[in-house]
Amino acid sequence: MTTVEAQQPVLELRNINLSYGSVVALDDVSFKAYAGEVIGLVGDNGAGKSSLIKTISGVNAPDGGEILVDGVVRHWRSPHDSMAAGIETLYQDSGLAPDLTIGSNVFLGRETRRRGVLGRLGFLDQRAMERGALEQLRRVGITIPETNRTVAELSGGQRQAVAIGRAIAWARHVIILDEPTNHLGARQSGEVLKVITSARGQGLCVLFISHTLPHVLEVCDRIIVLRLGRVVRDAPTTEFTVESLLGAITGLNE
Amino acid sequence: MSTSSELAGALAGQPARKPAGRSPFRRVVTNQQFVLFVVLVGLIVFFGVRNSLFFRVGEFSNLLTDFSGLILIAIAETYVITAGGIDLAVGSTAAVTGVVAAGWIQPLVSHHVNAALVLLLGAVISAVIGAAAGAFSALMITVFRLVPFVATLVTYSAGAGLALVISHGAPVGYNPGAIYWSATGVSIVTWLVAIVLVLSIGLGLILHLTIYGRYNFAIGSNEFAARAAGISVRRHLVSVYVLSGVLAGLTGMFFYIRSGSGAATTGVTNSANLLAIAAVVIGGASLYGGVGRWSGTMLGAAVLTVVSDGLIFINVPPTWIQVVVGALIALAALLQTFRRRGGATGRTT
Repeated sequence: MTTVEAQQPVLELRNINLSYGSVVALDDVSFKAYAGEVIGLVGDNGAGKSSLIKTISGVNAPDGGEILVDGVVRHWRSPHDSMAAGIETLYQDSGLAPDLTIGSNVFLGRETRRRGVLGRLGFLDQRAMERGALEQLRRVGITIPETNRTVAELSGGQRQAVAIGRAIAWARHVIILDEPTNHLGARQSGEVLKVITSARGQGLCVLFISHTLPHVLEVCDRIIVLRLGRVVRDAPTTEFTVESLLGAITGLNE
Repeated sequence: MSTSSELAGALAGQPARKPAGRSPFRRVVTNQQFVLFVVLVGLIVFFGVRNSLFFRVGEFSNLLTDFSGLILIAIAETYVITAGGIDLAVGSTAAVTGVVAAGWIQPLVSHHVNAALVLLLGAVISAVIGAAAGAFSALMITVFRLVPFVATLVTYSAGAGLALVISHGAPVGYNPGAIYWSATGVSIVTWLVAIVLVLSIGLGLILHLTIYGRYNFAIGSNEFAARAAGISVRRHLVSVYVLSGVLAGLTGMFFYIRSGSGAATTGVTNSANLLAIAAVVIGGASLYGGVGRWSGTMLGAAVLTVVSDGLIFINVPPTWIQVVVGALIALAALLQTFRRRGGATGRTT
């Protein structure tokens, strides 16, 4: 994507550092991400992928460095702040509350209140949320027959569809997908990749984290390789093959 | 998003794990609330047939009062357990507030200060002491990262000891004037019972219909998902343990108003804890969090109250009551396992 280079990056990380005690999780990580771009984020286990996305989404606070959204330095006090700034995250396996209904999950943290005094007292408009969830999911191409079932009653594929649908429906700038094709069959994975492509078509910036390198090479415009908390490669997908990507991830070819 | 319209077919359209217990008959029969209701009616009939005195109006009033003494701490436990925690300190918190409130109130009652005002003051004092106990548990859980079981065990132990130290092991501040609210009322519903029931219904509405309750279930169901959705998990958990402490404190005040004195016997402390948690478990809540209903807890508390009182009517020694409570918990747990295997309940992980 050479044309977007001149634009303002929608998300920029500058010299992000993060450590857990004496363990360095992120070491001086910097990159820019643009609207309408799919960026693959790859690395071995422990390379810092999860730490990085948790930092971008506000679950972790970095020890140093800056996060910029649309060119403005932002500080997340909680994930709520990053959500309000238009960044949505799909976490690997654990983004939904299984005992809540589909509708309650789609609106988790953004609950619709009743009108009037009851609403001000914190009373929920559950029907509006169930209806809204149905519409939100349908808008991004996911039809669930009824949204008042609990997530625990859904199959793995359906859960993933709800999670992805929720993230895309709320995202305004950036959507982070952590292993969205995990536990899915070949056909379902193909559909998830299509959803990613169409999210790009809507002008979203997608950060795609995956261990399945063919998927990464298929759908991404650019690939960032993390190793031991550092960015070791940041280059257009065309410069990679599965072999060279593996080499960059493991560091064996250097 | 025309490209992704097939996602519906590929992801959502595949058959869900079809719950085996979807047939209407089986769903009703395995519904915990329904089973509890049947058990409750059955127990009342059983005790009444064995001893007709059980059906007297006076006994019904007694049952209501015993029930009221249990439901505040049972509801407190419902909030804590559905949020994924446990509070072992409700009984001892009630004991501490009971003796402290009794000690402070006695001189006022003796000086003929307006009784309602005195009792209201006592309730406020009890709530504040309870809140402090809850905050102590919450501090150990959220800041020092103790598991709720251990943290509230510490509070329990400290509270039980403190109650004995303050009261020197004897009833505190006996004054017949204090029972004003438990002696008057409308028909068989004393003011004391009425206040507790209104409070309980309010707490039920908050649990199931408000954002606060929603966050409570979300945190108990998947704490990470709640945090990732921008919910302030730590703040909520602190508030839940403080709420539990307040309700335990008010229960201490309840016992004071009921008996006219504060007592700190360990028997009361332990059985209050046991009965509160038992009511929640019998009511169908999951000790893993995320699953539970106010109505289940209320039914569970009603069953426990009827059993505890009814056994006395059919001349079963009181010492056997705890054994029966244990059996009831075991039955409820078995029912839950059966239900889960049938797939009629939500939780799978």
